[in-house]
Amino acid sequence: MGSEPIERRVAYIGDRLKGSKCPFCGKEYFRTRKYCGNCGRKSLGKMEDIDFFYEKGVLETCTVVREPTNKFVKLGSYIYGIVSFHNGKVRVPGRLTDIIIRSDEPVNPENFEGREVVPRFRRRYSVDRSDIIPTISLAFTFADEYYPYQQYDITKPSKEYDVPGIVGYGVYISRFRIKEGAMERSVPFIDEDAITAAVEAGKLALIHSGVDHRLIGKVYVGSESNPYAVNPIASKVAQVLKLGEEEKAEGVQGVDAVDTEFACKAATSMFKDAMALVYYPRNPMDYVMVIGADNAQAAPRGEPGGELDFFVGYGGAAFIFGMRDVIAEVEGWYSCTSDTPDFWRRDLEPYPRHGGRFTGEPAYFKHIIKAGKKLMEKMNLKPSDIDYFVCHQPNPTFPARAAATLGFKPEQYLPGLQVSKFGNTYSGSSPIGLAAILDQAEPHKRIMIVSYGSGAGSDAYIFITTSQIKDKRERQKFTVKYQAENKFINYVDYATYRRFKEGL
Amino acid sequence: MKEPPAIIGVGRTRFGEHYELDPEDLIDEAGLMALDSAGIERKDLDACYISDYLLQVTNKIGLEEGFMSQILEMNIPIEKMRSFSSALMNACNAIEAGKYDVVLVGGMEKMTDRWSKIRDNLMLLVDHWSYYAGGTPESNHELLLREYIKEYNLRGDDQQKLMTTLAHISVKNHRNAVLNEYAHFRREIDVKRVFAARAEEQKMLGLYDFAPISDGATALILASPKKAKEYTDNLIYVVASSLATDFISYPSRTYRSGFLASRIAMERALKMADISLDNIKILEVYDQSTVLEMISLEDLGFVERGTAWIKLYKNFEDFKGYYDVDGRQVYVNTNGGLKADGNPLGATGGAQIFEVVKQLRGEAGQRQIKPDGDFLYGCVQEIEGFGTKVYVHILGREKGGK
Repeated sequence: MGSEPIERRVAYIGDRLKGSKCPFCGKEYFRTRKYCGNCGRKSLGKMEDIDFFYEKGVLETCTVVREPTNKFVKLGSYIYGIVSFHNGKVRVPGRLTDIIIRSDEPVNPENFEGREVVPRFRRRYSVDRSDIIPTISLAFTFADEYYPYQQYDITKPSKEYDVPGIVGYGVYISRFRIKEGAMERSVPFIDEDAITAAVEAGKLALIHSGVDHRLIGKVYVGSESNPYAVNPIASKVAQVLKLGEEEKAEGVQGVDAVDTEFACKAATSMFKDAMALVYYPRNPMDYVMVIGADNAQAAPRGEPGGELDFFVGYGGAAFIFGMRDVIAEVEGWYSCTSDTPDFWRRDLEPYPRHGGRFTGEPAYFKHIIKAGKKLMEKMNLKPSDIDYFVCHQPNPTFPARAAATLGFKPEQYLPGLQVSKFGNTYSGSSPIGLAAILDQAEPHKRIMIVSYGSGAGSDAYIFITTSQIKDKRERQKFTVKYQAENKFINYVDYATYRRFKEGL
Repeated sequence: MKEPPAIIGVGRTRFGEHYELDPEDLIDEAGLMALDSAGIERKDLDACYISDYLLQVTNKIGLEEGFMSQILEMNIPIEKMRSFSSALMNACNAIEAGKYDVVLVGGMEKMTDRWSKIRDNLMLLVDHWSYYAGGTPESNHELLLREYIKEYNLRGDDQQKLMTTLAHISVKNHRNAVLNEYAHFRREIDVKRVFAARAEEQKMLGLYDFAPISDGATALILASPKKAKEYTDNLIYVVASSLATDFISYPSRTYRSGFLASRIAMERALKMADISLDNIKILEVYDQSTVLEMISLEDLGFVERGTAWIKLYKNFEDFKGYYDVDGRQVYVNTNGGLKADGNPLGATGGAQIFEVVKQLRGEAGQRQIKPDGDFLYGCVQEIEGFGTKVYVHILGREKGGK
């Protein structure tokens, strides 16, 4: 049994690595303090808030843990050590994550010590299935490996737009992959889940957009693999990323945060809500964030629902919508919905079921094609007027067929087709495809995205890129391509993939 | 100089796995032996200080004073501390304050009763952020070793010598324990075996570098000098009793290649005793790991900082049973240390003191040391947590002062 108050306090400090700095002597602390040990009374109440969430540290000293304490056993062997920030002003204990160390594999600390590391928001350790999920950012990865260190610079917006659109975005795909045939799929590390992917994607979107986190008015998180049946991912995202104005006395954020669910279109559905909120004439929000993140679930092969196990991936995408420094303006949207039960997961069931062939024509294709056609009709557009097309990607064949049926050519839909690199990331699927297009599109290009959510429905949007898309591109190293073709990708076998997906 | 309190009797159980015994059985045995050796009765006791770290979690005993009262069938003041040294220090303070004349100091631990959780429980003694980050009871010792290696830039052959020195420390302690009838492990090992365990576990430090998890109890009778002399002529004075503390969080300490608290506690103790290091011929250090024995010798001032690895290495080339370092001859962990004598936390300090008292009294039997010159003083270092609290006690056949 965990302790709710302790979890609240540990996560409040530990997820963000909060600390304090003395305004007089500059002494820094991990964990907030009311006064400085050097300066005493004169510093009381004057300490500055700092945190190390976007900082880069150095792994100073380390060792390998082979026999963890009970709650860490599922992590196997790992590197544990001392991480310093700000040239040794602050030192914290830390565990390296995203590294697989075999039990018989020699580890020389000298190969790790002195290297720069980045704090990562992860699950802390194993708990009972009914307990609160403990998290912490005292997990680190090397800054010169898969996940690069990137500064978060808040940028003053320079241009107002008449219509709302995408201001920035971030995609997070884990370092691990399983490769079967021509298909690669992303696999979470054992301490990752839909919550950590949502936070990572949101963090990367803030970095890319340069948007002040305090100006985010609302955050939506769409997921069908929230490890909680009740308890939002969005509240974690809001707290960790400090979205909205912080009310320090109470430790609350002045932001609206909500989780949404509609199978794989839980996130795309909220794009229009986000844009409506920033466009709302009386009291518009500055920015709204929409995240789609999933540790896509599948039963093991051979069990009912196990067909999905060949296609599921892990990851998330976050989009920030607003009216300033827009990189892609929205041109139109259309959604359609029907009561079509082609894929579902009952409460308390760990894995979804699906309707076999029924998921195809009467479900996936019907809704995507309807939404795509109807939006083009509404906007008076032909497929040739559209530069890029992306739709939901449950496997490599469906999206290609849907695109062709709608009249799109490979050069229009291939840039957004990412399923053979990452697998089906459920709520993150078509958003990651959209991000891949935004990573490469020139200004003034028209992009159509059509999502699909089982149950069933599709959301279609058309965006037009602006001249600012190129300016912002250099702010993001961690692009979709970078994650797809990274030399630090670690391929795992089937047993490891299943174990990692099940998590801590 | 004011006459310090004196130890007039000591007792202990064997350390090891006592599956058949409750904690109260263990303290009963150790306490009786202490009373016996002091030649006093329970009714002579004015007060009792006991210590244990983990009985609350391992045995669900939350009010030790009550079961001590029941064992003794007395209603005297009883207080529970964490370490044996803490209990002894508080007993000394009370006697020096004139409050009591005869005090029972006892320590016990029953670590094998919840074997599957004991390493988790040990994490109660470090900061919880280290636990949350994945630290283990052993990992801090390895980080300390890495800090030491880096601080003194020990590479290649030097590092190999350091690791060999640490292995020799373990071998030496195992050898000493063979002659200790109360020790947890009474078998010799060799350097090869220490290295083999490290290699097998693919760790810097292996099984033979760490003290075990033990059950056991220890006790002593402390008396005011006046009262002590009524019972015995063979009293051992507690000439210094000092404590220093440090941050619970090891990573946030400025000095990490040793324990600052050890150094401070030792400086205070020497001042209190008004003797010099040269007067100390026997030393019991808190070797939870082989690294801690080596580094404690530096922290306590017996060896210049950063040199113990090589000086001990040279000692071990032709080991005479004592360390011959920086012009001093000092016997260290003659009972086998925590490594081989055992480490039932709350009782451990009592075994260290037991050993020094026995040696000073000339009652150590086969283990009896015969250092050069006057053999008047011995020193005991006990640590709570990872360098968080360090107690230094100096015991003497004389009452201190040059």
